[in-house]
Amino acid sequence: MKRALLAGRLILGIVFLYAAYTKLNAPWLVFAVSINSYQVVPLNLIEPIARTLPWFELLLGLLLLSGLWLRWVGLVCTGLLGFFFVLMVRSFAIGLQIDCGCFGPGEALGPKTLVRDGTLLALSLAVTVFAFLKPKPSPVNG
Amino acid sequence: MFSTAQPDVSIIGVMRTALLLTAALAAASIMIAAPADPKPVEPKKAAFSYGDQKFKTYGSPTAPLTLELYTDYECPSCRVMFLDTLPKLMEEYVKTGKAKLIHRDFPLPMHKFSRQAAKWANCAGTMGRYDLVSEQIFKTQMEWSQNGNLDGAIAKVLPPGEMQKLRALVADTKIDEGATADVAQGQRDAVNQTPTLEIVYKGKREQIGGNTPFQLLKQYLDMKLAK
Repeated sequence: MKRALLAGRLILGIVFLYAAYTKLNAPWLVFAVSINSYQVVPLNLIEPIARTLPWFELLLGLLLLSGLWLRWVGLVCTGLLGFFFVLMVRSFAIGLQIDCGCFGPGEALGPKTLVRDGTLLALSLAVTVFAFLKPKPSPVNG
Repeated sequence: MFSTAQPDVSIIGVMRTALLLTAALAAASIMIAAPADPKPVEPKKAAFSYGDQKFKTYGSPTAPLTLELYTDYECPSCRVMFLDTLPKLMEEYVKTGKAKLIHRDFPLPMHKFSRQAAKWANCAGTMGRYDLVSEQIFKTQMEWSQNGNLDGAIAKVLPPGEMQKLRALVADTKIDEGATADVAQGQRDAVNQTPTLEIVYKGKREQIGGNTPFQLLKQYLDMKLAK
């Protein structure tokens, strides 16, 4: 279980770091256009989200790799991935032909991206559950 | 005899240290590569000479911003961009001298009639009718994209005499070079979707793919101009 937990959080951490990198490496307007294409966020909120979410993803990626506060980080990651997944399923179901926006521009939302995001969500959920099941290290008595 | 079992703890400890070091290095490189206000993408190639298609260029040549808009006449998002966003851009940035705008054709292979539509528009441009015809082509996209009857759509806005002249120009294949030149420039810019807006500021190019609402574009352009 320990190794599975380690592998899971490392994979998730790298994915979050890569997602952040692709967004931060482009003008914020590129990500803003992706967010807007989902047609759920009011226009006045798009800029602040486009400018802060990639930094949040970067932070989550680093925390996952370090293993710090894993229970809470896992919960946040699961919530975030779950939110993305619901948005993607909804957009696909209503027939929006848009970019996924997951790892920069140019990747159309489709079955492949849904399976990938669903897998990441399941992985994040598993990491979170394992993190809560894992006993906390007992304090060292001197 | 001898036991080959090694303590797991030390292996995991070494792995953990190595991974943390990797993570720290990755974080540092990302921090360096991606500052809060990311650096624009460097131009991929030298500026392209636009030849005689000056009718597709609007605004002051000395404007601080250059906006290069790639569209496909058969693409629905391009229609929205062209009819909704472009007039606002023209009003607030091009007419005020803040930006120069270049309209470029990027007919996608999946669209049967878009290259032909670009040809009609470019031919009309040589007659001084580019704005009228390109707008009409976008406005009637739903009609001619069914059967390719661009002639019928354009004839609704051009007087018969000019329409005759335009038909003769369209029959001359050489004028199609306009779209060819645009596509070549688009390939140099690595355009992979339409609409795509290339924002050129202080010699640096940034590519924004997809239909960009004016409000977002305005926030971004104003931020650039305020720098």
